[in-house]
Amino acid sequence: MADDFKAARPLEYYRKFLEKDVRPDGRELGEFRPTILNIGCISTAEGSALVKLGNTTVMCGIKAELATPKTEEPSNGYLVPNVELSPLCSPMFRPGPPGEQAQVLSHFVNEVLDRSGCIRKEDLCIQTEKLVWVLYCDILCLDYDGNVADACILSLLAALKSTRLPAVKYNEETEKPETDSAKLEPLHILSNPVSSTFAIFDDRLMFVDPTVKEESLTTGTVTIVTNDNDLCIVQKPGGSPLTADQINTCFERAFSRSKEVLRLIDETLHSIER
Amino acid sequence: MPTDSRRIAGPESSTNPYNFCSEKPRHELLQNGKRQDGRKENNIRPIFLKAGVVSQARGSAYIEQNETKAICAVYGPREVIRKEDFSMKGLLTCEFRFATFSCRERRQHQQDVEEKDYSVQLLEALEPAICLDKFPKAQVNIYVTVLQNDGSALAAAITCASVALADSGIEMYDMVAGSSVRVAGKSLLMDPSYQEEYKPEEDTGLTNSGSVTVGLMPSLQQVSAITSKGEIEFELVKQAVAKCVEVCTQLYPVLQQALVRSVSEKEDEDG
Amino acid sequence: MCFSTKPSQIYIDPTKSNMVDVLLSDAEKTFIIHGIQDNLRDDGRGCEDYRHMEIETDVVSSTSGSAKVRLANTEILVGVKAELGEPSPGKPDKGRLEFFVDCSANATPEFEGRGGEDLALEISNMLARAYDCPSCLDLGKLCVVKGQQCWVLYVDILLLECGGNLFDAASVAVKAAIHNTCIPAVTVSKDEGHVDIELSDDPFDVHHLDVTSAPCIVTLSKIGHSHVVDASQKEEACCLARLMMGVTEKGTVTALKKEGSGSLDPSSVEEMMETGKRVGQALNKSLKEVLCQEEQKGKKKEQTGFLR
Repeated sequence: MADDFKAARPLEYYRKFLEKDVRPDGRELGEFRPTILNIGCISTAEGSALVKLGNTTVMCGIKAELATPKTEEPSNGYLVPNVELSPLCSPMFRPGPPGEQAQVLSHFVNEVLDRSGCIRKEDLCIQTEKLVWVLYCDILCLDYDGNVADACILSLLAALKSTRLPAVKYNEETEKPETDSAKLEPLHILSNPVSSTFAIFDDRLMFVDPTVKEESLTTGTVTIVTNDNDLCIVQKPGGSPLTADQINTCFERAFSRSKEVLRLIDETLHSIER
Repeated sequence: MPTDSRRIAGPESSTNPYNFCSEKPRHELLQNGKRQDGRKENNIRPIFLKAGVVSQARGSAYIEQNETKAICAVYGPREVIRKEDFSMKGLLTCEFRFATFSCRERRQHQQDVEEKDYSVQLLEALEPAICLDKFPKAQVNIYVTVLQNDGSALAAAITCASVALADSGIEMYDMVAGSSVRVAGKSLLMDPSYQEEYKPEEDTGLTNSGSVTVGLMPSLQQVSAITSKGEIEFELVKQAVAKCVEVCTQLYPVLQQALVRSVSEKEDEDG
Repeated sequence: MCFSTKPSQIYIDPTKSNMVDVLLSDAEKTFIIHGIQDNLRDDGRGCEDYRHMEIETDVVSSTSGSAKVRLANTEILVGVKAELGEPSPGKPDKGRLEFFVDCSANATPEFEGRGGEDLALEISNMLARAYDCPSCLDLGKLCVVKGQQCWVLYVDILLLECGGNLFDAASVAVKAAIHNTCIPAVTVSKDEGHVDIELSDDPFDVHHLDVTSAPCIVTLSKIGHSHVVDASQKEEACCLARLMMGVTEKGTVTALKKEGSGSLDPSSVEEMMETGKRVGQALNKSLKEVLCQEEQKGKKKEQTGFLR
């Protein structure tokens, strides 16, 4: 009976739950799905991380390559983030070039990298005007069950933290790089951007970390990216209007989520080192 | 390279830093009858196989053979978008991809020739095992992504995709197990790692150097796929194929176990 | 006994246009299958016989080497262009070989538009795989300056008419065309790190590649309980599984591939490979003889047939 109701009138079904401040999967409104983090799982990449947010699964792999810098920015390296929503992760996507959603996500991730300043592009320079690092940060969605944006940012941060680059010197005489693969150095991560997404339901109720089912029923979303103790980006692409109080609650939750996530990353990194 | 406005672009060209390492001595494939990772010629790597890993897919599976990792999802039967002629048989499509970070050299986002070739081989390995006449006018899509390639990627993909298909409940005659072998001189190395795999650019000086991959339907004892690369003596090809068939047969219980586990998990969930 | 005379529906599968389909009724199929069981094919051949094959080399004067092969109704033209280019980073001291297949819509209306693309890709992949081993063609001879310049052989394969067994015919034509290819002599001079490449003025100052150990592809089609080589279009329509082999004159195997929607049992795979080896060696041998004859005839030979 409950299943029929759910299928026929999903909105009503959700409303009945939300009236009691709980969601059909048993979560409270401010509760994220269990988050699982696996760091350094791909040894062919310089850095990698797998994030599971409930069913949503995202993998980030970082490949580092060498290139000559742009003439306008002779001492800046490159950061190239791309999100791929492959046809594997959901029936919504088909093979071919990235769709609108994937492009939006890629730009969002790029924005976060840029604005948060978690990596200084100058740090990626090996020899001014000659040689810099390119970090290809490819984020691959393996299971699309909603709130991929948060998972992408988390996997990216974790992967960057696990990235180890080989020592490279620029030989002035031969004009060629020399790599010492025995010496591996970590990246300098200056800050920790963390993203939290809130869904707006029926123009008034708010809950955090929507699943794909919930995303289809919402009347709007807000994504807040915190950068340690600062606010980095707030994205509210249209949808239902919100009161100042509601926004404030979101901010509070976003900062507390940031602490949870950073603790998780630290714990995972520690467990690998040991 | 054509510019891709749909992705964030990096520099025009970049190179792998490990190309500039000082030369490393080449490892022998076999030393005192042992391979670099300590295996004997006949030993295959341990396999971890799990069905039901992608919640959004009709069926899915994940396979791990030490460092070779692949994930597969199956969608459908669903409507054919480009309406072609009416067909009594279902349509099967396969897309085989290497994740950009899966290999030592970074892969591009666009599907390259090797990936297309593997897609076709995967399709031909799986097609004989599926009752295509059970879903006329519809299509089934199989997507495989190799997350990390440490050799024998196609064989792993075949095994993984057939478990994903079975997990999706699409009617099949049998599952398909894949295995591959590296032929080097007189020795046959089962389930080669990336270092052991045959690479045409590496001139080993051996007259016999190549690899063979076989897909087998174990309970029907039917070969559904067979491919080889490199120049190999005829007698050794025969031996290599026979070895692969043997290994595929041994793999069957692993495939069955993975399926049974996923079915019992589903039952637990439903109460 | 009564067979339905209505032609059985032929399904054109967009992902798999690997063979060009003909309409065949169930009765006709049964006739062919039963015949093959008794080593009798509808055109009178035995199971291991090829159809009549004509090979002509040096047919297109604007190429470095060319060949035309006619295998019953299948007609394939191959042109090889030698151009200077950069070697691939993995093999700095070797030349390159690039295959490109063009399925002309003249061959069959199914190739119209992008219809032949998949088949073209499959043929070129199979050829590339068969030739992708160091021993079958000495690509070291194509190296000009190590890591910088080498000869790139662009092998263009044009399908003019489809009458079954395209892979075998294409491989024979490719081998003949490479045999026919003249690579101009170049002189390399180095001064102060600057490399000069000079092409010889004498058009007859050329060298050839040795194709003795290059492979030919043999396709074995499983029909009923037996298998045949060189299947005609009708026979291809009865066949569910094919095994393709790249076989050299020595009997080594350079490429294997199972094709089609059916499967094979391991013992018949072995039998098919045995046949493939036997037939392949014979094919290589007779091709070598023909190529020798063609070479002796040289420029004096009478041009027959082709667009004349």
